[in-house]
Amino acid sequence: MSDERKPILELRELSVTRGGVVELDKLSCKLDRGETLIVLGDDRSGKDALLRLLGGFAERTDAIGGTIKLGAGEEQAASRKMRSPIRIVYLPGTERPPLNPHASTASQLARVVARRHEAPRESGREELRLALERLPGTPPFDALDRKPGVSSAVVLTWGLLAAALAQSPDLLIADHAFAGLTPAENKAVVAALQAEQKRIGFALLYAARGLQTAAHIRGRVIVLRHGRVIEEGDFDKLAGGQSHAYTRTLFKALAKPGDALPARTMRGEPLLQVHGLDFRPPGDKGPKPRDGLTFELRRGAALALIGEEGSGRRTLMRALLGLEPFTSGRVVLDQVDMSILSAAMTARLRRRIAFITGQDDALDPRMSLWDTVDEPLRAHLGLSRDMVAGHRDTALKRVGLASYDGATVVATLSRFDKRRLQVARAIVSAPFLAVIDEPLRGLDAFAQSIMKELLDDLRKQEGPAFLIVTADVGVAQALAEDAMFFKDGKVVERGALREILKNPRDEETRHLIEAALGEILL
Amino acid sequence: MAMTATAQPQPNAVLDTILRAVGWIGLASIAVAVSLSDFLASVPADTANAGPLLAPPSEMFRLGTDILGRDMLSETLHGLSATVRAALPAMLVALIAGALFGFVAARLPRVLAFSLRGVIGILSAVPSLLLAILMIGLTSRGWSGLAAGLAAAPLAFVRAFERAEAQERTSHSEYARAAGISAMTLLRRDLVYEFTQTILSGAARSLAAVTIILSTVSFLGFAAEPPHRDLGLMIAAAKGYFLDAWWTAAFPALALTLLILFARLAAGLGEGERA
Repeated sequence: MSDERKPILELRELSVTRGGVVELDKLSCKLDRGETLIVLGDDRSGKDALLRLLGGFAERTDAIGGTIKLGAGEEQAASRKMRSPIRIVYLPGTERPPLNPHASTASQLARVVARRHEAPRESGREELRLALERLPGTPPFDALDRKPGVSSAVVLTWGLLAAALAQSPDLLIADHAFAGLTPAENKAVVAALQAEQKRIGFALLYAARGLQTAAHIRGRVIVLRHGRVIEEGDFDKLAGGQSHAYTRTLFKALAKPGDALPARTMRGEPLLQVHGLDFRPPGDKGPKPRDGLTFELRRGAALALIGEEGSGRRTLMRALLGLEPFTSGRVVLDQVDMSILSAAMTARLRRRIAFITGQDDALDPRMSLWDTVDEPLRAHLGLSRDMVAGHRDTALKRVGLASYDGATVVATLSRFDKRRLQVARAIVSAPFLAVIDEPLRGLDAFAQSIMKELLDDLRKQEGPAFLIVTADVGVAQALAEDAMFFKDGKVVERGALREILKNPRDEETRHLIEAALGEILL
Repeated sequence: MAMTATAQPQPNAVLDTILRAVGWIGLASIAVAVSLSDFLASVPADTANAGPLLAPPSEMFRLGTDILGRDMLSETLHGLSATVRAALPAMLVALIAGALFGFVAARLPRVLAFSLRGVIGILSAVPSLLLAILMIGLTSRGWSGLAAGLAAAPLAFVRAFERAEAQERTSHSEYARAAGISAMTLLRRDLVYEFTQTILSGAARSLAAVTIILSTVSFLGFAAEPPHRDLGLMIAAAKGYFLDAWWTAAFPALALTLLILFARLAAGLGEGERA
């Protein structure tokens, strides 16, 4: 057996029980040196328990069973504190990075690297810098000298990845490490990781909720549900066909070339008309563009604004809604020029705009579940208590939250529940325009499938026009017929999304499509 | 096995809960003592010659007597009652003119809201005691409760305004406004979820503030006057002889200290704020 094929990790009948709940149920698997294993599942699938154990931070309340063999070491009973002859490195995600918000990212990561190498902190910093420089397309090292809270997700990801690689791992455990990234960022980071994996030869265990990163990594996959492996195999093989119903639902979330919605045959009345709008991103001091942006969104239509972070798509969306001032141009909503209306009249018009965003704080965390849905009904329509309750119950039933206690506080809801609650709030608003900003961000694959269905249902039943803001062409093609691609505050391509996907003319468009849908199309 | 992690310190929520509970239990005990003060006191308020002059604490007079032979235990109970009865309406004034108005003002049109914030912010820079004396001077002693409440209001206003303003800047408020939710509805959110949930701690905080103001203005002779002696006036009356008869000032001061301490503990104030 060559060195590359030697197993680095062997789990036999591994079980983790916490508070009487079996989180991981007799998991057996093997991972060779240089191999990649993707563990796919939702938050209660058991992958978190597996990561806790392998990462070395299982808790006293975890009852652990089974055996584990690490590298050339002896097979040992799995426990909180195991002897490890190999170097296991944990790579966290950026959603809740385990970093102190008051110290610079670089100093904290350098300390971790230095501690691992039992070297002075300065050496750790140098190792970190070298590891970062080895990765292609990374930000300058100075970018890590900022505090974590002011760094973008992609900068933090590069920093955390560099710190992990600087520790020369034998086994790298990535805990949803790239979940907060756009498809293009994701693709770049995965490519860099795979190049380093080839060079160093470490094994990679990647825990994933969604399929975006898994689609780029394309290794061996095990699908966990309720602590058990329900399906396993090569990613491409699984993507081609799944035997378990749960896996089928998961893979429905995977964006595939050719899934784009056909162009609408019916052309409704114009709902949103934009004439010569100067929507430059904040801080852009460049010369004023000669012509502003002009386009229209018709009733019931769906337009996706696609681009990377900082491309200007979100600035445009905010300008359209009056959340950001714009220097020139006109925005006409429902045949009314927004710029000539009083604040009160604008607010009246906005009542029929609904928001569904990937931001977890888009709903008031203090409010109860019922209050959140009731508010638009009470505030805008002045309905009786019974009618409010009727509309609310219908909406909550449609999104699958009817069984929840109405007094449940929003802050205690899961990310998926918050997202569904936003849809319920949109349903009762009977919107003519739904602004949908990265609706699938941070959700697991199962939740992504459900969210797509809910948004589709919203559009079919309430018939609002969709204005979708996303960096993910896969999301855009699932929800919109038309698209505008943005780069550096400019529209680089626009038209029917299906046609653009077949024949992208601009390099940026091609790059975004390739990142989200793979290279099959191109 | 290592992870790139640093532990985050956790606030000591258990100690905070215990201290709050101690505060509320203490305030409840004081409320019982105040409501039963006429029953617990052996003689009516301001009864002179109940015993020998300046008698030290003894079996007969547990807290001693003062220069007019008044029973200090009875006088302290009556004084505590007078202090609390004056402080309660003042606390309500501070809550309404301070916290409630602060939440409402933050949702007013921007120019008006920040003008109010500026003016009241300047007022909050003036010591509350001086404000209270100024207002009593402009009105009369009978308005000392209102004056104390209004003097304590600026700080409560600023605190409430800042809380509401922080809410105004959140993403959920922005999204709500963009979807046509009115300022009145957002104000309702603040009142339902911020004001009502902080009303108890706000009331306790205001109680402590107005008690200090009222007692001090009484001590200085601007508020209560005989025969309705509150604790501040009792301490002031002991100024001439407390070096020889410590009990004449110490027991009213202890009652005042406990009232303020319990109110501040109940408000959940941090150590710095309690200092």
